[in-house]
Amino acid sequence: MSPNTVDNGTLIPFSGETNNDSLAIYPLHHTLTRPVSRLAISWSRGNSLRVSLFAEPSQTSDAGDGAKVIEVKLGGGDPEIDDADWRRIAYGSVAPFALLQSRRSAISNMSKSPSTYQLDWWEHVLQYSKEITSLLAGPKLGPSPIIDDPNEIVKKNEEPTCLKAAWELMEIFYVDKQSQAWLPERLVDWLADYDSLFTSTQETIHGKLVDFQNDLVNIQVIEDDPRYWEVMSSALSVGWLDIVVKMLRLHGSYQLDQLSNRELENGLVEAVAVLISKMPRLRPESAAGNLGECFKSKPDFIKAWEKWRSQITKLDCSPFWIQCDNQQTRVGLRNLLQVMLGNTESLCTASCYWVELYISHFLYIRPFMIGVESMYNLAQKCIQLKPPTGTHRLTGLLIGILGENTEVVLAEISREFGPWMVAHAVELLTAGSEQAEILLYDERYNLGGISMVELHRLAYAQVLSSHALTWQIAPIYLTSCMKQGMGLLENLLYRQSVQHNNMLLKNIEICRLYELDHISSNIMKVAGVYHWKHGRKGAGVFWLQQSQDTNCLDRIAQQLFDSVGKSISDESFKQWEGLIELLGSESKPAGGLEFLHKYRDFKKSLQMVYSGKSTDAARQAVGSLILLMKNPSTPQRFWLPLLFDSLKLLNWKDSPLLSVSETNLLLNKLQEFSLARQRPHFTEPNLPPQALSSIRLALATNLGRAILDE
Amino acid sequence: MAVTANSEIHRFPQYKYIDAVRWLPVLSAFNRFAVLATSDFDSNLSSIEIHSFKPNPLSFEFQSSWTSPSPISSIKSSQFLQKSIIASSTSSGSLHFLFADSTDARLVSEVSVPENELHLEGKCCIDLMDGGVECVTVGDDGRINLVTVGDSNLNYRRLFDSGGLVSYTSVKWASPVEFATGGYGFGLHWWDQRKPGGPVSQFKGNWDKNLNSGIVHSIDIHPSRKHTCLAAGSLGTVLAWDLRMQQQPIILSGTGAGDGAGNTAVQSISESEVWEVQYDRCIKSNTSSTRILPAMICSEDGILGVIEQGEEPIELLAEPCAINSFDIDRHNPLDVICSLEWESVAILTRQ
Repeated sequence: MSPNTVDNGTLIPFSGETNNDSLAIYPLHHTLTRPVSRLAISWSRGNSLRVSLFAEPSQTSDAGDGAKVIEVKLGGGDPEIDDADWRRIAYGSVAPFALLQSRRSAISNMSKSPSTYQLDWWEHVLQYSKEITSLLAGPKLGPSPIIDDPNEIVKKNEEPTCLKAAWELMEIFYVDKQSQAWLPERLVDWLADYDSLFTSTQETIHGKLVDFQNDLVNIQVIEDDPRYWEVMSSALSVGWLDIVVKMLRLHGSYQLDQLSNRELENGLVEAVAVLISKMPRLRPESAAGNLGECFKSKPDFIKAWEKWRSQITKLDCSPFWIQCDNQQTRVGLRNLLQVMLGNTESLCTASCYWVELYISHFLYIRPFMIGVESMYNLAQKCIQLKPPTGTHRLTGLLIGILGENTEVVLAEISREFGPWMVAHAVELLTAGSEQAEILLYDERYNLGGISMVELHRLAYAQVLSSHALTWQIAPIYLTSCMKQGMGLLENLLYRQSVQHNNMLLKNIEICRLYELDHISSNIMKVAGVYHWKHGRKGAGVFWLQQSQDTNCLDRIAQQLFDSVGKSISDESFKQWEGLIELLGSESKPAGGLEFLHKYRDFKKSLQMVYSGKSTDAARQAVGSLILLMKNPSTPQRFWLPLLFDSLKLLNWKDSPLLSVSETNLLLNKLQEFSLARQRPHFTEPNLPPQALSSIRLALATNLGRAILDE
Repeated sequence: MAVTANSEIHRFPQYKYIDAVRWLPVLSAFNRFAVLATSDFDSNLSSIEIHSFKPNPLSFEFQSSWTSPSPISSIKSSQFLQKSIIASSTSSGSLHFLFADSTDARLVSEVSVPENELHLEGKCCIDLMDGGVECVTVGDDGRINLVTVGDSNLNYRRLFDSGGLVSYTSVKWASPVEFATGGYGFGLHWWDQRKPGGPVSQFKGNWDKNLNSGIVHSIDIHPSRKHTCLAAGSLGTVLAWDLRMQQQPIILSGTGAGDGAGNTAVQSISESEVWEVQYDRCIKSNTSSTRILPAMICSEDGILGVIEQGEEPIELLAEPCAINSFDIDRHNPLDVICSLEWESVAILTRQ
């Protein structure tokens, strides 16, 4: 069954006939025994959907589960890079990205002229690109063995990935201005590294080499096997000189027992091997130990190239070939010479698909060519000669780059490699040309006034935000977005859970970094209420104080006072000490909780009065009492208990402690309290019945004595 | 400015979040083991993993693991008799003790206290007595418990319950009967098992407004100086509270500590949360006995460093992401292991 849902969660049939490629179908495996009657769908973490399935109500009670919740992960993800590895890449690309952004703003602040900006900007981008490349490297395949295996033709250092291949391809074309002069040679190297990736969609030279290598142990006389010559001419056509020379040296004529009677044959093999290893290359230097002679300047290279070609022609016309009686060797070696002479037909048979053919053209037919335009035409020609059987994610990108179409390139990398790639590769694209920069940085009406760069960064930030482990790096990308970034950042910060202190503090730290004080204050408020509701009163009060929310504190205070010990003898007040300590000095906003402070001070001095009989202590206690009674935050229900606790002060033997005005204040409060008593919902304080009258009496006595004193 | 120290640094990506990390004390001189509290967000599993570390040839290999019922909020390791003990508390309030073979770190047995017995749901913190079987647990819920671990059984009792009025965020033993706790508002309390009913001493952070708005994340007490409590927390604050000079803490680092009494020109190694502090086990011989011993910290802004009273702070590691916890190897104090926010572990060998 393929249910589809409408608004009210009922099921409607879904016809599988609309065979559209853009529809992805995810089968749900639920264990409900009864038919499903309703569905509820919501987003879960990342790009997972949470589907709740409700079965039809059943009459019997033991009909199994009535509902089931299933998580469905959307999108297959990248086949070569799993989620955890994507996160590793995301973490690692933060620092290079941030550095490049800060350099960009530093340069644009320093000089307004674009010429100096363009001058060395690519060097910064190149550094950025190299750092990202090192991040994309696949897992190392163990240390290389110390003893060289003579039968090992293809060496592998790390598992290549399409992502890295695509990144390097863009670096070659857009960023590295220094090696622009030997761009074809860089493509040769690129294919040498990544040819194996194409094996997934078509036959490749790399694949042929690996197959041959695996069969090597079963082959008796290697030069009699036609595949030996076929594989060598293929490898030579794409410039893998080391491999070809190594394979040539496996030729039977090198064996000591045969050397004497196959001298001439061996001479020819060796001559070809030497010629191959002397092939001139237009490039600064090749990796250590690689064969071929490198030339930095073009005139030197042309001279060497012509000399080399003439040597090949000379060997090709040599009379020794007729004397060589091993036909396989003769044909095979001459075919290698044809490859080196740039025979179109030989190259075409040697290569497996158009990219290989394309590379062989650079090496042997047009060694002097530079310029992207002619490269594009050549690519078209190669595609015609070897029409692709399927599309590979890298060939689409290559054609887009050669066609100098930024939008196509952007679309290709977005489709094939996802938001991380687009957000980071944009830097490479814009380093390449001013035209691309204008295209990508132009604010567009149809995108809501933001540029394409910003759009892709926002999309990537959205992906980061959806995962609990990566949301913390999303702010770096959001803040590089001028128009919408800050708004989305605020959203993101509000959305984070306040449940765990560590998370909360990390969140607040981000607010501090980006000077979003109003947000951190709101977050702390939410945290305060959360802790309060979960019975962690101290933590709640702390966060509310941090957010300076006196309103909330006032409300909390009213609830708190219900449980505060009301009488001086009440031991339970002791445990409030910690909370009062937390409230800190009076300079901090405590709202209604300020009362607790004064109440504590009052209790303390009153306790001293009860333990000793110092008049000073008594005077201090009276001071606290007056402060408490004057303060509007003191709840009315505490008035009577406070006065009752202070009876001893009011009846102080030596002299009246309260002045006339102070006594009047207390009398007024008492009056106010008596009035409040008449109102409904008044709760009577838990005091002896004669409490009110004894307070009245004490106050009246005190008033009389005070008047006399004054 | 902080001085940067030379050390050999190795990073090991784990592809899951590391909540905390500890070295596991073992008897063997050849084997080194680390304990990782991990959370795998893809499978929603939390576990304690034991990895073996070899410097040459370099390897950090998974040995064994134990699945925890909920995320781990605090983890401590110690050695008792012939076994290594790992104590951990979870965010649902349960407490678990794992016993490992002290030569090959194989997990042997486990005893636990279920949730809601000791603490309500929320963060709690534990400390295991050095070489002992006594564990103190404190929590957000304001409860303080003492747990005694036997071979297969546990005894526990509640020492104090503030009923949520005060939350505790860190704890550390000072002696077999005394310990210190830290909490909100940089509140530090000193407790004595023999005197239940409340703290025997309180540190009042009132003298500094900034300090008052922070939280203590970690405490350390040196066995040779039991009267001094080292506390670290918000705003890069690290301070030493000497019980004998109650009102004058010694500020070792902190942005909010500009005008504290007697603490002029204190350098701050970090500006954000200091997640953990430990006395540096590797002490130079010329350290004065009147000074506070050097301490190592790790922070939210990615610093792992050593601070010493009156000296420039030394940065061992400056990462682009937070360093959430660290541990100094008690047998090789030059080796430090730390957990990074970006799902990896780093091991430093100081020169």
